[in-house]
Amino acid sequence: MNQKKPFSKDIILLGNIEYVVNEIVEKLRDDVLRKIRRTGGVVGISGGIDSSVCLALSARAFGPDKVLGIMLPEKDSSPDSEMLASELAAKFGVKAITENITGALNGFRCYERRDEAVKRIFPEYDPRTYKMKIAVKDTGLFSNLPPVFYLIIIDKEGNEQEKILPVKEYLQIVASSNFKQRTRMSMLYHHAECLHYAVIGTPNRHEQEQGFFVKYGDGGADVMPIGNLYKTQVYQLAEYLGVPGGIIERTPTTDTYSAEQTQEEFFYQLPFAQMDRYWYAFEKGYPVTEVAEVMGETPERVEALFRGFERRRRTTEYLRMAPVRDYYGI
Amino acid sequence: MAYDQTVIQEKIRQYIVEASHVDKEKIKDESLLFKEGYFDSMGFILLITFLEEEFKIKTSDSDLLEENFESINAMTGFVVNKLLS
Repeated sequence: MNQKKPFSKDIILLGNIEYVVNEIVEKLRDDVLRKIRRTGGVVGISGGIDSSVCLALSARAFGPDKVLGIMLPEKDSSPDSEMLASELAAKFGVKAITENITGALNGFRCYERRDEAVKRIFPEYDPRTYKMKIAVKDTGLFSNLPPVFYLIIIDKEGNEQEKILPVKEYLQIVASSNFKQRTRMSMLYHHAECLHYAVIGTPNRHEQEQGFFVKYGDGGADVMPIGNLYKTQVYQLAEYLGVPGGIIERTPTTDTYSAEQTQEEFFYQLPFAQMDRYWYAFEKGYPVTEVAEVMGETPERVEALFRGFERRRRTTEYLRMAPVRDYYGI
Repeated sequence: MAYDQTVIQEKIRQYIVEASHVDKEKIKDESLLFKEGYFDSMGFILLITFLEEEFKIKTSDSDLLEENFESINAMTGFVVNKLLS
């Protein structure tokens, strides 16, 4: 009988990274070249760890000359992102181009629609002098209450103001910002189709399972080579593949709003190393008491955390669903 | 004060039943609505908006505690206290 290993803090660490990389590379070749019959891959590169690992894996799978890295900045992007993405492409010998999507987003009135909603909450908000972001406030993660979203604006002197986001404004800000991911997806497919390549998606396991992606935005791709890996494992692969240190050491950000915002602040509410362990335990059905003891928490808090995970998985199910088409037909 | 406690409780109950799409019989005044998973983040914000608009109260950060929202009884108490303060 296959006995489950006792839960430990190291349980998610990959033992043989070379083996894992070879498995992924082989499957990537098989899926792209043989199953979907494309001749290479296009990767949107942001200077973040996930897209960097995907680019490195793609270069191994198809050869650097069959991979195109595309940087897709817009006016709210951090300038570091483009610099790091260029360094990455050079490191792996992959051609990289820049497609600035600000003009397309202006065409959609992305910024205008978002700023209208922000101004309803903070009438003094002026996008020329203020930065903005959305953050999750701790109700907390170990409580049975779901998280609440806050709008934060920051003036030139760095003074912050924050308010709970009412539903209408929250939805409008998120729907407007989602133009960014969907525009990037359109641009990636444009280049992929011009070259007869596949779009290599960059979401990791958490983003997929917890619904931290935009449907038909960064969730729109042909293959997702790290879609089953926890963030800790993605870092292990990055080290092994030789991703530049500046990318590995960088704090993961959403790079979506004008103010700097970490993924932890916006969505996860826990450092990724802890989130990985808890999520693994939750997925594999480890007893709450065993997990609590290893993680130095109380069983009640871990139970509340797992209930939150279940809620998050359930409420984001529709993001992972393909369009429902089992309607009447002859 | 425009409402008495029973009216407040009934209005909250009605909203919870409609918004959660759960059988009326399943939702008791003491049912732990969030622990049972009837509401997600969006449902929670909508619920706060409903309470604010319906009873003309203002919710602050420090109010976002489980003890204020965990059940119909808890919410009724929360609204009554807000109206009295």
